[in-house]
Amino acid sequence: MKRGLVVLDTAEVPEQERPDRVVRLQRRLADEGVTIGLVYADVHRSDDVGYLTNLCIYWNEGILAVPAEGDPAFLMKLSPRVHPWMRRSSTLTDLRSGKGFTALVQGFVENAAEPGVIGLVDAALWPATAVDEVRAAAPGWDVRPLGGLVREQRLVPSAAELGLLGAAAGHLRTALDAVVGPDLPDGERIAVLEQALRGAGYTDLMVEVVHGPDGVSAVEVTGQFRFSWLRAARLVTPAAGAPQWAASLQDALAAARGAVAPGEAAAVPAAAAEKTLTGLPAGATAHATVVHQADLSTGGDYASPDEQLPVGSVVVVAVEVLFPDGGRVAVADTVRVGETGAEQLDDKELHA
Amino acid sequence: MNGADDVEQELRYTRVREAMAEQGLDLLLAYGPGWRRENIRYLTDARVTGSAALVLVPATGDPAAFSVRPADLAVIAQRGWVTDVSRLDFPAATVLTERLRDLAPARIGVAHLELLPQALADAIAAGAPGAEVVSATGLLDNARMVKSDWELAQMRRSAAVCAAGWQKFVDVLEPGLPEYRIVAEVEAELKRLGAEDNFMLIASGGDEVMGMTPPGPRLLEEGDMVRTELTPQMNGYWLQICRSAVVGKASDAQRRSFDLFNEAVEAGLSVVRPGITAHEVAVAENDVFRKHGYGEYCTAKYTRVRGHGHGLHLDETPIIEGNHTVLPERAVFIVHPNTYTPIAGYHVLGDPVVVTATGYEVLIETERVLFETPQGVAAA
Repeated sequence: MKRGLVVLDTAEVPEQERPDRVVRLQRRLADEGVTIGLVYADVHRSDDVGYLTNLCIYWNEGILAVPAEGDPAFLMKLSPRVHPWMRRSSTLTDLRSGKGFTALVQGFVENAAEPGVIGLVDAALWPATAVDEVRAAAPGWDVRPLGGLVREQRLVPSAAELGLLGAAAGHLRTALDAVVGPDLPDGERIAVLEQALRGAGYTDLMVEVVHGPDGVSAVEVTGQFRFSWLRAARLVTPAAGAPQWAASLQDALAAARGAVAPGEAAAVPAAAAEKTLTGLPAGATAHATVVHQADLSTGGDYASPDEQLPVGSVVVVAVEVLFPDGGRVAVADTVRVGETGAEQLDDKELHA
Repeated sequence: MNGADDVEQELRYTRVREAMAEQGLDLLLAYGPGWRRENIRYLTDARVTGSAALVLVPATGDPAAFSVRPADLAVIAQRGWVTDVSRLDFPAATVLTERLRDLAPARIGVAHLELLPQALADAIAAGAPGAEVVSATGLLDNARMVKSDWELAQMRRSAAVCAAGWQKFVDVLEPGLPEYRIVAEVEAELKRLGAEDNFMLIASGGDEVMGMTPPGPRLLEEGDMVRTELTPQMNGYWLQICRSAVVGKASDAQRRSFDLFNEAVEAGLSVVRPGITAHEVAVAENDVFRKHGYGEYCTAKYTRVRGHGHGLHLDETPIIEGNHTVLPERAVFIVHPNTYTPIAGYHVLGDPVVVTATGYEVLIETERVLFETPQGVAAA
């Protein structure tokens, strides 16, 4: 849950970068013939809004209204008493509270000279009731579904974001090194990671110690640092040594990393990993995935394996084995898609 | 995980199916987006992690479960309450459409219909054309409100972790510590004790503090009041403690503020009994503020609720004037009159209780006092 550091720091991301992101979206909206783009967000999936405004939606839901021309506004069911904090921690100046989206959207569109086109960004993921509320608020307007326009912008991090990802990756590597020894209780592994990573400024963190047969377990960390995400998972080597199938997971991860290349579909490195896996216990099933960090708030649940990997994007390469008793183990790493293949995020040369 | 048993399963499904019959539903679909999974857990006793999951409960016959995340399927099946599990393909959701075509329901209740994505709403319409689709959010909220012995046992574990988390919170406070480092220390302690998750808001400073937020980089100063709502989740069940502590010695204003809020908590607790409404508890709390001339600070301009229910979701029935929901025996909620006043800024104080046959039982053992650090008590 989002209960770690939330900060707006122009030393980290230049002051003009976020307004420029909004302008880029506005140009796209104009190209699509859209008068107002609406971005829905809830506490589970809010990175589009965070990317555009630095607003952290730590509870409930809201809509960011982005006109093709003019300033964006955040429409929310939360009371105005949260506005001072939102102004302090985001670039938003127009914050509107109300009891429902219908009245809020109505208030936003009523200043338009004439009805136009409202575009719903990532429309398939919008609650249907929220879509109905928008339609009710804007009679005479054409309410149109749009794809993931903001997600597309987020796929390749800026230099500033890459710097933050590099710092976050360094913290993650150090913290994981401290907890993958064989003799720690699960709760202690998680506690050490929480203390180290939230203490280093992670905003959101999901840590699991997962278990498979033969005494094999893994520590899996998914974390949000500012508005970018990372995942890493490492095997905990049993005191008696790793069985062959567990060693094969590491080979599979290496194969997937080796197959990461710009322009390839996400399914290609995944297939390379699955080919390498051998000797899995009976009944086990393996999945290899390549998921953009931009999709990690939802764990890549809605991502397409056929999507090509753009150069400069940051992806999680993961190999997961599921067991019939509900157990699982995983290995994973977050890498940059470089011109010639996967690059370590905390590689000093990447940030030189 | 300490799983519930067959008796618990029978109790829940009987309760839900009775409510379905009362409402004329021949099918219930419990939708669980990533931030509202309480009904999935209630009906499967499994901890899922996918961004979208569904449990399908027909009026008769076995339930089925769907998740967009493959790892959830074995987790659900392994618990044994729902063994018919399928991957939910999104956005097409053909697996759901086909299942609905087979069942041909006439009236479908959807829990969290208000959050159901357009793609899944379309899939339901395609699979059950002509079916009446209504919200069943209230149906499951009501079913979950009355806790079983097993559920109360889980919440008592949460209560113990609440107390330990608050103690850690007080222990680490010192001038110069940034807010987010407090959270890191408390999170570590809660996880060490087995918490699955935690919801926590914080605010530090003086009488300028107007509300609670995620932590920032602000450094604690001598004399700050540091407020928190701390809500660990143990085996699915959330419970909250609300307290405030002063870094150093409390001022007279901070003590007066505590006295006002403590009187409001006492007033709220004093009316709790089976059959009381959320409205009546809120009125009892707010009347204390009104009596002392601070009634305006009980409005939405300054605060949200005067408490709320707990269970598999952390923020269930709101305790607020105008909510006439009846709180039955075995309902669990927190009485917290948290709000801003000009006395000492936003103040946080509250205890979770379970409604008993004769009144209430406070579930946490932490003293209801204004804490000072190094450890001390400014007001009680």
